[in-house]
Amino acid sequence: MDYVEQRVAQAASNHEATTNTLLTPLNALLLTALLYATYTFLFRKPPPPQIPSEPPATVFRTFTPRTLLPYNGENNMPVYLAVRGRVFDVTRGRNFYGPGGPYSNFAGRDASRGLACGSFDEEMLTKDLDGPLDTLEDLGAGEMEALRGWEERFEEKYLVVGRLVAEGEADLVGEPGKKK
Amino acid sequence: MGLASLLVALDEGVTGLFAQWNVWTSIISTTLIGFLTYQLVTRQDPDIHPFLLARQAQGSPVRYPGESSVYRSHAAPHGMPLNASLNVKEPGASKWARGRDGDLRDVWRQAVNGVLDEGPDKGATGRILTVLGTDKVVEHSLDALTRQINLIGQHLVEQGAKQVAIYLPNSVELLITLFACAFYDLDAVILPFGKPNDAVISMLRRSASDTVVTTPGAFPFDFVVRHYPSLHRVVWVVDDGNKHLDWNEVPKGTGSSVNVSTWQDVVNDSPSDAGRELPPLQDQKPPADVTVFWDSKPDQEEEMVRFTSANLISGIAAQLSAIPTAQRIGPRDLFLPADSLANTHTLVLTLAALFSNASVAFSSAAPGAEDLAAAVRAVPDLHPTILVATPAALLKTQQDAAATRKSSLFARLSHARRVRNLIRSGAMPPANPSSVVPQGSKLRLILTTERAGANTPRLSTAALADLRVLTGARVVYALTAARVAGAVAQTGLYDYRLVGEDADELEDETGKGMHFGPPVTSTEVLFRDRDGLRSGEMASMGEIIVRGPCVAGDEVALGVLGRMRKDNTITYV
Repeated sequence: MDYVEQRVAQAASNHEATTNTLLTPLNALLLTALLYATYTFLFRKPPPPQIPSEPPATVFRTFTPRTLLPYNGENNMPVYLAVRGRVFDVTRGRNFYGPGGPYSNFAGRDASRGLACGSFDEEMLTKDLDGPLDTLEDLGAGEMEALRGWEERFEEKYLVVGRLVAEGEADLVGEPGKKK
Repeated sequence: MGLASLLVALDEGVTGLFAQWNVWTSIISTTLIGFLTYQLVTRQDPDIHPFLLARQAQGSPVRYPGESSVYRSHAAPHGMPLNASLNVKEPGASKWARGRDGDLRDVWRQAVNGVLDEGPDKGATGRILTVLGTDKVVEHSLDALTRQINLIGQHLVEQGAKQVAIYLPNSVELLITLFACAFYDLDAVILPFGKPNDAVISMLRRSASDTVVTTPGAFPFDFVVRHYPSLHRVVWVVDDGNKHLDWNEVPKGTGSSVNVSTWQDVVNDSPSDAGRELPPLQDQKPPADVTVFWDSKPDQEEEMVRFTSANLISGIAAQLSAIPTAQRIGPRDLFLPADSLANTHTLVLTLAALFSNASVAFSSAAPGAEDLAAAVRAVPDLHPTILVATPAALLKTQQDAAATRKSSLFARLSHARRVRNLIRSGAMPPANPSSVVPQGSKLRLILTTERAGANTPRLSTAALADLRVLTGARVVYALTAARVAGAVAQTGLYDYRLVGEDADELEDETGKGMHFGPPVTSTEVLFRDRDGLRSGEMASMGEIIVRGPCVAGDEVALGVLGRMRKDNTITYV
């Protein structure tokens, strides 16, 4: 209670005459607040919204079996695979198609035959990288049906970033950009 | 003791501070509280979230060499079909059922049937008005117009017409002939009105028209008959002033092979109960095409474009979906095309207004109006809510208003404050139209368009902001092209931002830059490398290429150079 008594006594003794000057510390404080509010509401420019810029678009490319080969997910490369001449970017499915994944054999290769036959073995891949593309002519209706199923799934999930042509044919095809 | 002394010091300090309270303190704190209250009470939320304006279109993740990404509106994402359907439903159909794509005939059926959606406006129809001369307003009943569609259509079919050229100013007859052609399977050809004789002949010849619906005085009958023998039929639309003359009489020796009739005779001489019902929906033929002529520069020949009905429908659908639900066109609106209906953009918007059951006013004087006030005065006492205006008229309005403001400091400051409020808040202020539009204006939406390659005056974002403040109406600025029905791209209704000339800056207080917003829902836009402009990782630029169901021939290069701004809106280079 000492404290309260002390304060009361102090206040009683401390009856200074209030002044009418503008520049007291309290007024300065309030004026600052007023100026700040005026500035914020009337003069400060709201910052333009910041949104992350879009990732640059991938340029559509024409691959040959050889140029496709490095896109197997190793050395930080994206994972591409080809199905019937179309190259899909399957990097998002790296766990399956990337190094160590169950389908890693397909990475950077033409996966058409393997997908059609439901086999992920090495011998499903076209051995001769400089030869013609696999025409899949010997496959049956059921296998082609399975391949179409895979293609539809790929179209839903992954982007077509290029197309695959046999070695030496790359120069013969027209500008892909003119395609509708 | 340590704590107690600290408390004492604190208490003393606070008491000391407030002991200084004097009359000034009261004034300042009252002002502060008053100011804060005012700001909080009058604060408006922006009409649209700023993020949606910061990126308005979506680029495709893959692009072809020599081209930029393909850009689409957020409302028409990649991988989905572009907007090509009016979703026409039969009365009584389930709300969730998918409707037909529709064609021009459905636009008129919808106009006659009235609003289908449940609500206070269910069944409401728009009014069709014509302004004759300077002040005579005529309202046409929809039933009477349906009858005219049938009678004119049947008349043209009986006469053996195939390609029907329409050479009329903005009028209800232009629209009726267009619908008559749609219902009776004739190809309509809309010619720009007020062209020199040679141009008229050339357009008739190129479109192989065999019939003309036109108005006496404007159409060089003798000249055409002499130089274009393939013309077999003329239907005169005569107005009240000269209908006592016998228009059916063919001048001797000139047009012996031309069959001449008048609109009024065709309509009035038929039994009054003839042609009351539109041809049935069942077993109707696929819709016919509509040919238009794109007027570019005075010394250039008009480009002929043949649109399928599906092109036009897609353009209409995109225009309808470009308007947010809260601002939708409805039966309470009065739509005034103050630009030529021979412009596909104006035509598509007018059809969109009809499809939305808005009232439509026609005035042959409005398209020539030199500024907004003149355009609105062309339909006195009608108070249009939606106006299609030429950029020239808008620019003149804006410049005249700026010149008037020059003399008064107060007017300048007040205008600048209102523009700044609009930009800062991103919210349209309550209507406070100034003298640029006549008293009692209810204008809420102005639609205007840049015609690619036609030297139309450009409207900067600052000019558009001025116009918004001056008229109290939202302004949409579109990019249109010859082979695209409707618009290629257009600014959002709620986009009031000022942009600079630097396309890599989002916003800029000068507002000198311009843009055409994102592609509409019926188009996708890309840029093809040309004239040293190349698309790369950072920028998309080149010749503007448009694809979509509203494009005649599916894809067209506009011949003008453009680029994508940082906010993914289209602008010229």
